[in-house]
Parts: sequence; structure tokens; C-alpha cells
Amino acid sequence: MTSPLDAGLGLYRHALALRGYRQAILTADIANASTPGFKAVDLNFSQAMNRAMGSDTSGAGMPAAVGTDTGVKALLVNDARHISASDLGGPGTASAPDELPRDAVQYQVSAQSTIDGNTVDLDQEKVTAAGNAVDYAATATFATQTIKLLLTAMGGAAQGGGA
Amino acid sequence: MSLLGVFGISGSGMAAEAQRLSTVASNIANANSSVSTGGQPYRAREVVFRSVPVTEGDNTAASAGMAGVEVAGVVESATPFRSVYDPGSGFADAQGYVQMPNVSPVDEMVNMISSQQNYQADLDAFNVAKSLALRTLSI
Repeated sequence: MTSPLDAGLGLYRHALALRGYRQAILTADIANASTPGFKAVDLNFSQAMNRAMGSDTSGAGMPAAVGTDTGVKALLVNDARHISASDLGGPGTASAPDELPRDAVQYQVSAQSTIDGNTVDLDQEKVTAAGNAVDYAATATFATQTIKLLLTAMGGAAQGGGA
Repeated sequence: MSLLGVFGISGSGMAAEAQRLSTVASNIANANSSVSTGGQPYRAREVVFRSVPVTEGDNTAASAGMAGVEVAGVVESATPFRSVYDPGSGFADAQGYVQMPNVSPVDEMVNMISSQQNYQADLDAFNVAKSLALRTLSI
């Protein structure tokens, strides 16, 4: 997780995973719109994203070999013969677990609930899900453009433009 | 990938709403069935929904907040039968009343509309997830 390529694309990896997760949660709310006692939930995206980026020091916004509090540098591994710092127990190199943030899933505050205890507001859920879908597509577009940028840098305009 | 979990969730929602819709259809069709199985008039039926957590393969962490829906059971309405005065009917009792099903057409229509809207919302969510998944393939 210390390659410069990961530094550029790690942001999108996390963002797409979390946007997809949020879409699934909102879909679950919609599917349970008639389930007695079901409490609507949502993903606190900024909290989850901060957590994800914090657990991966190679993420965007930070240089790949950023120093840490202990003054130990994460090792840059770009050759099979290099020793990765995770083998040494070093910081910033343990690959971020792709575990989804459970505690960032929180109950929604409902304006009104039905008599059977269901708090899903179907219209609100549809709007939120549509907005999240747009955000997902935007993130995917940015990822595509970043990859094209890297291809251009590697192989010139002819290859980069053909992606 | 959590986006693929959407298909299971909205699929379970559509299946549950479809069963609710067929229950409504059954109730409306039998609104005048004065004899059902057991010799009694038809009793209106209702489905009971229950949410079930969804797990993606061995990734149990993905289940937080991701819940599908299933039909926990079908219950029969306990409201009393309608009594219709029809002394000429072969099913009339000594006072000339025939017991008719306890189906409330208004309840059934409301149930049908609600079920239709929920089904539509599930289908929309499914299609959104599908287009997002295809969009991801083209990164």
C-alpha cells in the first residue's frame, strides 16, 4: 500500500467502497419500508471516510512515505526484492482492512414514525439514494480520469486518450 | 463489494411485496366466497414482514445496516364476518342471515397501493445499483 499509484487511487478505492455500502444501506431502508418496527439507518459518510483514510497512511492528501509520530518512515516498496515495512511491523504499511465501518452506521432521526414503529420515510430515502448514486458516479468518473492521467504520463497521449 | 449486496436486498423486497400483492389479490377475489375450506367463510389474510440481515459471503462485517426483508408469516384477520340477510340462500342460518367474508375492500385497496409503491421503489433502487455497477466496470 505504499506505491505512489496507490497514493493517487486509494482515495477512490475507499470512496467507491463506502458509497456502495451506503447505497446498500439506503436500499435496505427502502426494502423494509413496510416492516413493522424497522428503524431506518444511514451511513455517516464523512466519519466513515475519515476513518478509512486515517487507517491508510498512503491515501491521497498524504505523501506516500509520510513520516509518523514515531519518526519512522513508511518504506517505499516498488520492487519484488524490497522488504515491505509490514514484514518488519512498521507503521503505515499494514494494508488497511477492507472491513466496512459498522459504527458509522447510525439510526436516522425520523420526523414521524408509523403506528407499527417503522421509521422509514420512503420519499426521503429515495432522494438520499439518488443523491448517493450521483456521488458514486462522480467518484467513478474522477477515478477514470485519474487513471487516464496516469496512462498519459506513462505512455504518452496516444495510449492515455484511448482508455 | 457492497454494491452487489443491493441486488439481494431489493430482490428480497420485491419478492416480499409481490407476495403481499398476491395476498391482496386473493382477498379481493374471495370477497364474496361465503364457503371456504372447512365450510367457514373466507377469512382475509395479511402478510407479516420481518427484516433479515444480509451477509456477503464470508464478509460478515458487511452486514451492518444491510437488511433484506422476508415474509415471516401469513395471518388471518380476526375481524368478525359480515352478516347478510338472504333467507333464500342455501347457506342461510335459522334467522335468514348468511355469513360473508371479513374482507374490507378499502383495506385491500390501501394495501395494494402501498405495496405497489414499495415494489416500485425497490425496482428503482435495483436499477440504480445496476447502472452504478456497470459504471464501475468502465473505470
